[in-house]
Amino acid sequence: MNELYQLLTGPMLWLTFFVFTFGTLYKLLSILVLTIQKEPFIMSVFSFKYGMRSILSWMTPFKPVSMKKHPVLSSVIYVFHICLFIAPLFLMAHITLLDESWGLVWPSLSDSLIDYLTLIVLACCLFYFIRRLTQKEVNYLTSQSDYILLAIVALPFFTGLMAYHQWFAYGFFLNLHILSGEIMLMAIPFTRLSHMIISPLTRAYMGSEFGEIRHAKDW
Amino acid sequence: MIPKIYSIVIAITLVLYLSTGVLSQEDMLVIDNRPFADTTRPNAIFQHDVHNEKAEIEDCATCHHVYDEDKGEFIPDQSSEDQRCYECHDLKETGKKPGLMKAFHLKCKRCHQEQKKGPLMCGDCHRK
Ligand code: HEC
Ligand code: HEC
Ligand code: HEC
Ligand code: HEC
Repeated sequence: MNELYQLLTGPMLWLTFFVFTFGTLYKLLSILVLTIQKEPFIMSVFSFKYGMRSILSWMTPFKPVSMKKHPVLSSVIYVFHICLFIAPLFLMAHITLLDESWGLVWPSLSDSLIDYLTLIVLACCLFYFIRRLTQKEVNYLTSQSDYILLAIVALPFFTGLMAYHQWFAYGFFLNLHILSGEIMLMAIPFTRLSHMIISPLTRAYMGSEFGEIRHAKDW
Repeated sequence: MIPKIYSIVIAITLVLYLSTGVLSQEDMLVIDNRPFADTTRPNAIFQHDVHNEKAEIEDCATCHHVYDEDKGEFIPDQSSEDQRCYECHDLKETGKKPGLMKAFHLKCKRCHQEQKKGPLMCGDCHRK
Protein backbone atom coordinates (compact mmCIF):
# COMPACT_ATOMS: atom_id res chain seq x y z
CA MET A 1 0.00 0.00 0.00
CA ASN A 2 2.91 2.37 0.73
CA GLU A 3 4.34 1.95 -2.80
CA LEU A 4 0.96 2.74 -4.31
CA TYR A 5 0.57 5.73 -1.96
CA GLN A 6 3.95 7.11 -2.99
CA LEU A 7 3.10 6.65 -6.67
CA LEU A 8 -0.27 8.38 -6.27
CA THR A 9 1.04 11.29 -4.20
CA GLY A 10 4.18 11.64 -6.35
CA PRO A 11 4.24 11.16 -10.14
CA MET A 12 0.47 10.70 -10.47
CA LEU A 13 -0.18 13.99 -8.68
CA TRP A 14 2.16 15.85 -11.03
CA LEU A 15 0.45 14.23 -14.01
CA THR A 16 -2.90 15.38 -12.59
CA PHE A 17 -1.75 18.98 -12.20
CA PHE A 18 -0.34 18.88 -15.70
CA VAL A 19 -3.46 17.44 -17.35
CA PHE A 20 -5.79 19.72 -15.39
CA THR A 21 -3.85 22.94 -16.07
CA PHE A 22 -3.09 22.36 -19.73
CA GLY A 23 -6.50 20.77 -20.35
CA THR A 24 -8.15 23.88 -18.94
CA LEU A 25 -5.95 26.20 -21.01
CA TYR A 26 -6.67 24.11 -24.11
CA LYS A 27 -10.39 24.25 -23.43
CA LEU A 28 -10.34 28.04 -23.00
CA LEU A 29 -8.18 28.55 -26.06
CA SER A 30 -10.31 26.33 -28.29
CA ILE A 31 -13.47 28.16 -27.21
CA LEU A 32 -11.78 31.46 -27.99
CA VAL A 33 -10.56 30.31 -31.42
CA LEU A 34 -13.94 28.78 -32.33
CA THR A 35 -15.77 31.92 -31.31
CA ILE A 36 -13.49 34.18 -33.31
CA GLN A 37 -13.78 31.90 -36.36
CA LYS A 38 -17.51 31.23 -36.27
CA GLU A 39 -19.23 34.05 -34.40
CA PRO A 40 -16.76 36.94 -34.12
CA PHE A 41 -19.48 39.42 -33.15
CA ILE A 42 -19.74 37.66 -29.76
CA MET A 43 -16.37 39.11 -28.78
CA SER A 44 -17.59 42.66 -29.35
CA VAL A 45 -20.61 42.17 -27.11
CA PHE A 46 -18.67 41.23 -23.97
CA SER A 47 -19.01 43.79 -21.21
CA PHE A 48 -17.32 43.38 -17.85
CA LYS A 49 -20.01 45.30 -16.02
CA TYR A 50 -23.03 43.41 -17.40
CA GLY A 51 -21.15 40.11 -17.37
CA MET A 52 -20.32 40.37 -13.67
CA ARG A 53 -23.81 41.67 -12.90
CA SER A 54 -25.30 38.54 -14.42
CA ILE A 55 -22.86 36.14 -12.77
CA LEU A 56 -23.42 37.69 -9.34
CA SER A 57 -27.18 37.68 -9.82
CA TRP A 58 -27.18 34.02 -10.72
CA MET A 59 -25.04 33.32 -7.63
CA THR A 60 -27.52 35.03 -5.33
CA PRO A 61 -29.93 32.46 -3.89
CA PHE A 62 -33.47 32.78 -5.26
CA LYS A 63 -32.75 35.88 -7.30
CA PRO A 64 -33.10 34.16 -10.72
CA VAL A 65 -36.70 33.44 -11.76
CA SER A 66 -35.82 29.87 -12.71
CA MET A 67 -34.59 29.28 -9.17
CA LYS A 68 -37.92 30.45 -7.76
CA LYS A 69 -39.72 28.13 -10.16
CA HIS A 70 -37.69 25.06 -9.10
CA PRO A 71 -36.92 25.72 -5.44
CA VAL A 72 -35.97 22.16 -4.44
CA LEU A 73 -33.64 21.34 -7.31
CA SER A 74 -32.08 24.82 -7.19
CA SER A 75 -31.41 24.59 -3.47
CA VAL A 76 -29.79 21.18 -3.87
CA ILE A 77 -27.59 22.47 -6.70
CA TYR A 78 -26.67 25.55 -4.68
CA VAL A 79 -25.77 23.73 -1.47
CA PHE A 80 -24.03 20.94 -3.38
CA HIS A 81 -21.63 23.28 -5.15
CA ILE A 82 -20.72 25.16 -1.99
CA CYS A 83 -19.95 21.97 -0.06
CA LEU A 84 -18.15 20.47 -3.07
CA PHE A 85 -15.57 23.25 -2.97
CA ILE A 86 -15.34 23.99 0.75
CA ALA A 87 -14.89 20.40 1.94
CA PRO A 88 -11.64 19.56 0.10
CA LEU A 89 -10.16 23.08 0.16
CA PHE A 90 -10.48 23.60 3.92
CA LEU A 91 -9.77 20.08 5.15
CA MET A 92 -6.94 20.08 7.70
CA ALA A 93 -5.34 16.89 6.34
CA HIS A 94 -5.06 18.39 2.83
CA ILE A 95 -3.57 21.65 4.11
CA THR A 96 -1.17 19.73 6.36
CA LEU A 97 0.19 17.84 3.35
CA LEU A 98 0.56 21.03 1.30
CA ASP A 99 2.37 22.65 4.22
CA GLU A 100 4.76 19.72 4.56
CA SER A 101 5.53 19.63 0.83
CA TRP A 102 5.54 23.29 -0.18
CA GLY A 103 5.10 25.31 3.01
CA LEU A 104 1.66 26.50 1.83
CA VAL A 105 -0.81 27.13 4.66
CA TRP A 106 -4.26 28.64 5.10
CA PRO A 107 -6.89 28.30 7.84
CA SER A 108 -8.81 25.04 8.03
CA LEU A 109 -12.29 24.10 9.24
CA SER A 110 -12.89 21.47 11.89
CA ASP A 111 -12.88 17.82 10.80
CA SER A 112 -16.38 17.26 12.17
CA LEU A 113 -17.83 20.15 10.16
CA ILE A 114 -16.22 18.80 6.98
CA ASP A 115 -17.64 15.40 7.85
CA TYR A 116 -21.12 16.93 7.58
CA LEU A 117 -20.30 18.80 4.37
CA THR A 118 -19.13 15.50 2.86
CA LEU A 119 -22.38 13.81 3.85
CA ILE A 120 -24.29 16.68 2.23
CA VAL A 121 -22.33 16.26 -1.03
CA LEU A 122 -23.10 12.54 -1.04
CA ALA A 123 -26.78 13.13 -0.25
CA CYS A 124 -26.98 15.59 -3.16
CA CYS A 125 -25.35 13.04 -5.49
CA LEU A 126 -27.95 10.51 -4.39
CA PHE A 127 -30.65 13.09 -5.12
CA TYR A 128 -29.29 13.67 -8.65
CA PHE A 129 -29.13 9.91 -9.20
CA ILE A 130 -32.71 9.28 -8.12
CA ARG A 131 -33.90 12.28 -10.11
CA ARG A 132 -32.30 10.91 -13.26
CA LEU A 133 -33.85 7.52 -12.66
CA THR A 134 -37.36 8.60 -11.77
CA GLN A 135 -38.18 11.91 -13.47
CA LYS A 136 -39.42 11.05 -16.94
CA GLU A 137 -38.24 14.14 -18.82
CA VAL A 138 -34.82 13.95 -17.16
CA ASN A 139 -34.51 10.22 -17.63
CA TYR A 140 -35.23 10.66 -21.32
CA LEU A 141 -32.22 12.96 -21.69
CA THR A 142 -29.92 10.79 -19.53
CA SER A 143 -27.20 8.63 -21.02
CA GLN A 144 -24.79 6.22 -19.40
CA SER A 145 -22.09 8.87 -19.30
CA ASP A 146 -24.19 10.98 -16.92
CA TYR A 147 -24.11 8.20 -14.35
CA ILE A 148 -20.39 7.67 -14.83
CA LEU A 149 -19.78 11.38 -14.34
CA LEU A 150 -21.88 11.36 -11.19
CA ALA A 151 -19.85 8.44 -9.87
CA ILE A 152 -16.58 10.25 -10.69
CA VAL A 153 -17.71 13.16 -8.52
CA ALA A 154 -19.18 11.10 -5.68
CA LEU A 155 -16.31 8.63 -5.33
CA PRO A 156 -13.65 10.97 -3.86
CA PHE A 157 -16.13 12.07 -1.20
CA PHE A 158 -17.29 8.57 -0.35
CA THR A 159 -13.77 7.15 -0.13
CA GLY A 160 -12.58 10.22 1.82
CA LEU A 161 -15.28 9.58 4.39
CA MET A 162 -14.31 5.91 4.64
CA ALA A 163 -10.59 6.68 4.97
CA TYR A 164 -11.05 9.46 7.54
CA HIS A 165 -13.04 7.16 9.80
CA GLN A 166 -10.74 4.23 9.02
CA TRP A 167 -13.76 2.05 8.31
CA PHE A 168 -13.08 -1.35 6.73
CA ALA A 169 -9.88 -1.41 4.67
CA TYR A 170 -8.08 1.84 5.47
CA GLY A 171 -5.19 1.59 3.01
CA PHE A 172 -7.48 0.58 0.17
CA PHE A 173 -9.89 3.46 0.72
CA LEU A 174 -7.18 6.08 1.19
CA ASN A 175 -5.45 5.13 -2.05
CA LEU A 176 -8.76 4.92 -3.90
CA HIS A 177 -9.60 8.33 -2.45
CA ILE A 178 -6.47 9.91 -3.90
CA LEU A 179 -6.86 8.14 -7.25
CA SER A 180 -10.53 9.07 -7.64
CA GLY A 181 -9.78 12.70 -6.73
CA GLU A 182 -7.11 12.76 -9.41
CA ILE A 183 -9.47 11.21 -11.96
CA MET A 184 -12.09 13.86 -11.14
CA LEU A 185 -9.62 16.71 -11.62
CA MET A 186 -8.33 15.28 -14.89
CA ALA A 187 -11.88 14.75 -16.13
CA ILE A 188 -12.88 18.40 -15.65
CA PRO A 189 -11.52 19.86 -18.90
CA PHE A 190 -12.59 16.92 -21.08
CA THR A 191 -16.10 16.04 -19.88
CA ARG A 192 -19.29 17.92 -19.08
CA LEU A 193 -17.61 18.80 -15.79
CA SER A 194 -16.03 21.51 -17.94
CA HIS A 195 -19.09 23.61 -17.07
CA MET A 196 -16.80 24.69 -14.22
CA ILE A 197 -14.69 26.50 -16.83
CA ILE A 198 -17.35 27.36 -19.41
CA SER A 199 -20.42 28.41 -17.47
CA PRO A 200 -18.93 31.70 -16.21
CA LEU A 201 -18.19 32.56 -19.86
CA THR A 202 -21.66 31.74 -21.21
CA ARG A 203 -23.23 33.52 -18.25
CA ALA A 204 -21.09 36.60 -18.88
CA TYR A 205 -22.03 36.55 -22.55
CA MET A 206 -25.75 36.26 -21.82
CA GLY A 207 -25.48 39.03 -19.25
CA SER A 208 -23.64 41.25 -21.72
CA GLU A 209 -26.09 40.69 -24.54
CA PHE A 210 -29.12 41.28 -22.33
CA GLY A 211 -27.54 44.26 -20.59
CA GLU A 212 -26.00 46.07 -23.53
CA ILE A 213 -28.23 45.23 -26.44
CA ARG A 214 -31.64 44.27 -25.09
CA HIS A 215 -31.40 46.42 -21.96
CA ALA A 216 -32.99 43.62 -19.98
CA LYS A 217 -32.20 41.27 -17.15
CA ASP A 218 -31.22 37.69 -17.95
CA TRP A 219 -32.14 36.18 -14.58
CA MET B 1 -16.49 -11.71 48.63
CA ILE B 2 -15.22 -12.02 45.12
CA PRO B 3 -15.67 -8.33 44.25
CA LYS B 4 -13.67 -7.41 47.35
CA ILE B 5 -10.73 -9.58 46.34
CA TYR B 6 -10.86 -8.08 42.89
CA SER B 7 -10.74 -4.55 44.18
CA ILE B 8 -7.78 -5.35 46.45
CA VAL B 9 -5.89 -6.89 43.52
CA ILE B 10 -6.67 -3.89 41.34
CA ALA B 11 -5.57 -1.48 44.08
CA ILE B 12 -2.26 -3.28 44.59
CA THR B 13 -1.60 -3.39 40.85
CA LEU B 14 -2.34 0.30 40.57
CA VAL B 15 -0.02 1.22 43.43
CA LEU B 16 2.77 -0.93 42.00
CA TYR B 17 2.25 0.58 38.58
CA LEU B 18 2.32 4.17 39.80
CA SER B 19 5.33 3.60 42.10
CA THR B 20 7.48 2.52 39.15
CA GLY B 21 7.48 6.21 38.34
CA VAL B 22 7.31 7.94 34.97
CA LEU B 23 7.20 5.72 31.92
CA SER B 24 10.57 5.50 30.21
CA GLN B 25 11.23 5.27 26.50
CA GLU B 26 11.59 1.49 26.86
CA ASP B 27 7.86 1.20 27.55
CA MET B 28 6.77 3.82 25.09
CA LEU B 29 4.02 2.51 22.79
CA VAL B 30 2.60 5.76 21.45
CA ILE B 31 3.78 9.36 21.38
CA ASP B 32 2.24 11.58 24.02
CA ASN B 33 -0.03 14.15 22.35
CA ARG B 34 -0.86 16.23 25.43
CA PRO B 35 1.43 19.13 24.37
CA PHE B 36 -1.10 19.86 21.61
CA ALA B 37 -3.80 22.30 22.68
CA ASP B 38 -6.69 20.22 21.38
CA THR B 39 -6.05 16.91 19.75
CA THR B 40 -7.98 15.60 16.79
CA ARG B 41 -6.37 12.20 16.14
CA PRO B 42 -5.49 9.08 18.07
CA ASN B 43 -1.90 9.09 19.41
CA ALA B 44 0.76 8.14 16.87
CA ILE B 45 2.02 4.59 17.29
CA PHE B 46 5.70 4.51 18.23
CA GLN B 47 7.33 1.73 20.23
CA HIS B 48 10.49 3.69 20.92
CA ASP B 49 13.09 0.99 21.51
CA VAL B 50 11.55 -1.68 19.29
CA HIS B 51 11.26 0.87 16.47
CA ASN B 52 14.85 2.03 16.70
CA GLU B 53 16.18 -1.50 16.91
CA LYS B 54 14.16 -2.66 13.89
CA ALA B 55 15.07 0.47 11.92
CA GLU B 56 18.70 0.10 13.02
CA ILE B 57 19.05 3.68 14.25
CA GLU B 58 21.95 3.96 16.67
CA ASP B 59 22.43 7.71 16.90
CA CYS B 60 19.95 9.26 19.35
CA ALA B 61 20.53 12.66 17.70
CA THR B 62 18.82 11.41 14.53
CA CYS B 63 15.66 12.46 16.37
CA HIS B 64 16.83 14.18 19.59
CA HIS B 65 18.86 16.88 17.89
CA VAL B 66 20.68 19.93 19.23
CA TYR B 67 20.99 23.05 17.09
CA ASP B 68 23.91 25.45 17.17
CA GLU B 69 22.43 28.88 16.53
CA ASP B 70 25.82 30.50 15.90
CA LYS B 71 27.09 27.96 13.39
CA GLY B 72 23.64 27.42 11.92
CA GLU B 73 23.77 23.61 11.96
CA PHE B 74 22.78 20.63 14.06
CA ILE B 75 25.61 19.49 16.33
CA PRO B 76 26.50 15.94 15.22
CA ASP B 77 27.73 14.43 18.48
CA GLN B 78 25.25 16.01 20.88
CA SER B 79 21.74 14.82 21.62
CA SER B 80 18.76 16.16 23.56
CA GLU B 81 16.87 13.07 24.77
CA ASP B 82 16.50 14.76 28.17
CA GLN B 83 14.17 17.24 26.48
CA ARG B 84 10.78 16.71 24.90
CA CYS B 85 10.22 18.02 21.38
CA TYR B 86 7.67 20.58 22.60
CA GLU B 87 10.26 22.21 24.86
CA CYS B 88 11.92 23.64 21.75
CA HIS B 89 9.14 23.40 19.16
CA ASP B 90 6.14 25.66 19.80
CA LEU B 91 2.75 24.77 18.35
CA LYS B 92 3.27 27.50 15.75
CA GLU B 93 6.22 27.72 13.38
CA THR B 94 8.94 30.14 14.57
CA GLY B 95 11.42 31.16 11.91
CA LYS B 96 13.07 28.07 10.44
CA LYS B 97 11.92 25.96 13.41
CA PRO B 98 8.80 24.02 12.39
CA GLY B 99 5.74 23.92 14.63
CA LEU B 100 5.32 20.82 16.80
CA MET B 101 3.08 18.80 14.48
CA LYS B 102 5.18 19.60 11.45
CA ALA B 103 8.35 18.75 13.37
CA PHE B 104 7.01 15.27 14.13
CA HIS B 105 5.62 14.71 10.65
CA LEU B 106 8.75 15.84 8.83
CA LYS B 107 11.05 13.91 11.13
CA CYS B 108 9.12 10.65 10.90
CA LYS B 109 7.85 10.71 7.33
CA ARG B 110 10.97 11.99 5.62
CA CYS B 111 12.98 8.99 6.79
CA HIS B 112 10.19 6.53 5.98
CA GLN B 113 9.99 8.01 2.50
CA GLU B 114 13.75 7.87 1.94
CA GLN B 115 14.11 4.32 3.25
CA LYS B 116 10.87 3.13 1.62
CA LYS B 117 10.01 1.53 4.97
CA GLY B 118 7.67 2.59 7.76
CA PRO B 119 4.23 4.22 7.57
CA LEU B 120 3.35 7.29 5.45
CA MET B 121 -0.46 7.28 5.45
CA CYS B 122 -2.16 9.24 8.24
CA GLY B 123 -4.11 6.30 9.62
CA ASP B 124 -1.12 3.97 9.77
CA CYS B 125 0.39 6.17 12.50
CA HIS B 126 -2.83 7.60 13.97
CA ARG B 127 -4.58 4.26 14.14
CA LYS B 128 -8.13 4.18 15.48
C1 HEC C 1 13.28 7.71 15.46
C2 HEC C 1 13.42 8.82 16.33
C3 HEC C 1 14.07 8.60 17.71
C4 HEC C 1 15.31 8.07 17.97
C5 HEC C 1 16.36 7.57 16.98
C6 HEC C 1 15.46 8.11 19.40
N1 HEC C 1 14.34 8.64 19.98
FE1 HEC C 1 14.02 8.92 21.95
N2 HEC C 1 12.17 9.68 21.54
C7 HEC C 1 11.67 9.90 20.29
C8 HEC C 1 10.42 10.58 20.39
C9 HEC C 1 9.54 11.01 19.23
C10 HEC C 1 10.17 10.76 21.77
C11 HEC C 1 8.97 11.47 22.40
C12 HEC C 1 9.33 12.90 22.50
C13 HEC C 1 8.22 13.78 22.99
O1 HEC C 1 7.17 13.25 23.35
O2 HEC C 1 8.42 15.01 23.02
C14 HEC C 1 11.30 10.19 22.48
C15 HEC C 1 11.45 10.18 23.86
C16 HEC C 1 12.58 9.75 24.51
C17 HEC C 1 12.77 9.82 25.93
C18 HEC C 1 11.77 10.38 26.92
C19 HEC C 1 10.76 9.35 27.29
C20 HEC C 1 9.61 9.95 28.08
O3 HEC C 1 8.65 9.23 28.28
O4 HEC C 1 9.66 11.13 28.43
C21 HEC C 1 14.00 9.33 26.20
C22 HEC C 1 14.65 9.17 27.57
C23 HEC C 1 14.61 8.95 24.95
N3 HEC C 1 13.70 9.22 23.92
C24 HEC C 1 15.87 8.42 24.80
C25 HEC C 1 16.44 8.10 23.60
C26 HEC C 1 17.80 7.57 23.47
C27 HEC C 1 18.75 7.32 24.63
C28 HEC C 1 18.00 7.36 22.14
C29 HEC C 1 19.24 6.79 21.45
C30 HEC C 1 19.62 5.50 21.87
C31 HEC C 1 16.78 7.74 21.45
N4 HEC C 1 15.88 8.20 22.36
C32 HEC C 1 16.61 7.68 20.07
C33 HEC C 1 12.25 9.55 19.11
C34 HEC C 1 13.48 8.97 18.96
C1 HEC D 1 17.02 21.58 22.07
C2 HEC D 1 15.94 22.12 21.28
C3 HEC D 1 15.27 21.13 20.31
C4 HEC D 1 14.68 19.93 20.61
C5 HEC D 1 14.59 19.24 21.97
C6 HEC D 1 14.12 19.43 19.39
N1 HEC D 1 14.37 20.32 18.36
FE1 HEC D 1 13.83 20.10 16.40
N2 HEC D 1 14.75 21.86 15.93
C7 HEC D 1 15.34 22.70 16.83
C8 HEC D 1 15.77 23.91 16.12
C9 HEC D 1 16.47 25.12 16.77
C10 HEC D 1 15.42 23.75 14.78
C11 HEC D 1 15.61 24.75 13.62
C12 HEC D 1 16.83 24.46 12.85
C13 HEC D 1 17.03 25.47 11.75
O1 HEC D 1 16.91 26.68 12.03
O2 HEC D 1 17.29 25.03 10.63
C14 HEC D 1 14.78 22.45 14.69
C15 HEC D 1 14.31 21.90 13.49
C16 HEC D 1 13.61 20.72 13.41
C17 HEC D 1 13.12 20.16 12.18
C18 HEC D 1 13.31 20.75 10.78
C19 HEC D 1 14.72 20.59 10.35
C20 HEC D 1 14.97 19.21 9.87
O3 HEC D 1 15.50 18.38 10.58
O4 HEC D 1 14.58 18.96 8.75
C21 HEC D 1 12.47 19.01 12.50
C22 HEC D 1 11.78 18.07 11.54
C23 HEC D 1 12.56 18.84 13.94
N3 HEC D 1 13.27 19.91 14.45
C24 HEC D 1 12.01 17.78 14.66
C25 HEC D 1 12.19 17.56 16.03
C26 HEC D 1 11.64 16.43 16.77
C27 HEC D 1 10.79 15.33 16.19
C28 HEC D 1 12.04 16.58 18.07
C29 HEC D 1 11.78 15.63 19.24
C30 HEC D 1 12.19 14.26 19.05
C31 HEC D 1 12.84 17.79 18.14
N4 HEC D 1 12.89 18.35 16.89
C32 HEC D 1 13.43 18.26 19.29
C33 HEC D 1 15.50 22.48 18.18
C34 HEC D 1 15.08 21.37 18.89
C1 HEC E 1 15.94 7.56 10.52
C2 HEC E 1 14.79 6.87 9.99
C3 HEC E 1 13.48 6.85 10.74
C4 HEC E 1 12.91 7.84 11.49
C5 HEC E 1 13.45 9.23 11.82
C6 HEC E 1 11.63 7.33 11.93
N1 HEC E 1 11.44 6.06 11.44
FE1 HEC E 1 9.79 4.88 11.76
N2 HEC E 1 10.65 3.41 10.70
C7 HEC E 1 11.87 3.47 10.08
C8 HEC E 1 12.14 2.21 9.41
C9 HEC E 1 13.38 1.86 8.61
C10 HEC E 1 11.00 1.39 9.65
C11 HEC E 1 10.77 -0.04 9.17
C12 HEC E 1 11.27 -1.00 10.22
C13 HEC E 1 11.06 -2.43 9.77
O1 HEC E 1 9.96 -2.91 9.99
O2 HEC E 1 11.99 -2.98 9.19
C14 HEC E 1 10.08 2.18 10.46
C15 HEC E 1 8.86 1.71 10.90
C16 HEC E 1 7.95 2.46 11.63
C17 HEC E 1 6.67 1.98 12.09
C18 HEC E 1 6.09 0.60 11.83
C19 HEC E 1 6.63 -0.31 12.89
C20 HEC E 1 6.23 -1.74 12.68
O3 HEC E 1 6.39 -2.51 13.62
O4 HEC E 1 5.79 -2.09 11.61
C21 HEC E 1 6.07 3.00 12.78
C22 HEC E 1 4.70 3.00 13.45
C23 HEC E 1 7.00 4.11 12.77
N3 HEC E 1 8.13 3.75 12.05
C24 HEC E 1 6.75 5.33 13.36
C25 HEC E 1 7.67 6.37 13.40
C26 HEC E 1 7.44 7.63 14.05
C27 HEC E 1 6.15 8.01 14.78
C28 HEC E 1 8.55 8.38 13.86
C29 HEC E 1 8.79 9.81 14.30
C30 HEC E 1 8.77 10.07 15.73
C31 HEC E 1 9.49 7.59 13.09
N4 HEC E 1 8.92 6.38 12.83
C32 HEC E 1 10.74 8.04 12.70
C33 HEC E 1 12.74 4.51 10.06
C34 HEC E 1 12.55 5.73 10.71
C1 HEC F 1 4.94 8.56 10.53
C2 HEC F 1 3.82 8.72 11.40
C3 HEC F 1 2.79 9.78 11.12
C4 HEC F 1 2.05 9.94 9.97
C5 HEC F 1 2.12 9.13 8.69
C6 HEC F 1 1.15 11.03 10.23
N1 HEC F 1 1.33 11.52 11.50
FE1 HEC F 1 0.26 12.99 12.40
N2 HEC F 1 1.47 12.90 14.03
C7 HEC F 1 2.49 12.00 14.19
C8 HEC F 1 3.12 12.25 15.48
C9 HEC F 1 4.31 11.49 16.03
C10 HEC F 1 2.42 13.32 16.09
C11 HEC F 1 2.65 13.97 17.47
C12 HEC F 1 2.24 13.06 18.62
C13 HEC F 1 0.86 12.47 18.57
O1 HEC F 1 -0.08 13.07 18.05
O2 HEC F 1 0.70 11.35 19.09
C14 HEC F 1 1.38 13.70 15.14
C15 HEC F 1 0.47 14.72 15.36
C16 HEC F 1 -0.57 15.03 14.53
C17 HEC F 1 -1.58 16.02 14.80
C18 HEC F 1 -1.64 16.94 16.03
C19 HEC F 1 -2.21 16.22 17.21
C20 HEC F 1 -3.68 15.98 17.12
O3 HEC F 1 -4.11 14.85 17.45
O4 HEC F 1 -4.46 16.87 16.71
C21 HEC F 1 -2.44 16.02 13.74
C22 HEC F 1 -3.67 16.89 13.57
C23 HEC F 1 -1.96 15.03 12.80
N3 HEC F 1 -0.83 14.45 13.30
C24 HEC F 1 -2.56 14.76 11.59
C25 HEC F 1 -2.03 13.90 10.63
C26 HEC F 1 -2.55 13.78 9.28
C27 HEC F 1 -3.77 14.51 8.75
C28 HEC F 1 -1.76 12.89 8.64
C29 HEC F 1 -1.82 12.45 7.18
C30 HEC F 1 -1.86 13.51 6.22
C31 HEC F 1 -0.75 12.44 9.59
N4 HEC F 1 -0.94 13.08 10.78
C32 HEC F 1 0.22 11.50 9.31
C33 HEC F 1 2.88 11.01 13.32
C34 HEC F 1 2.36 10.79 12.07
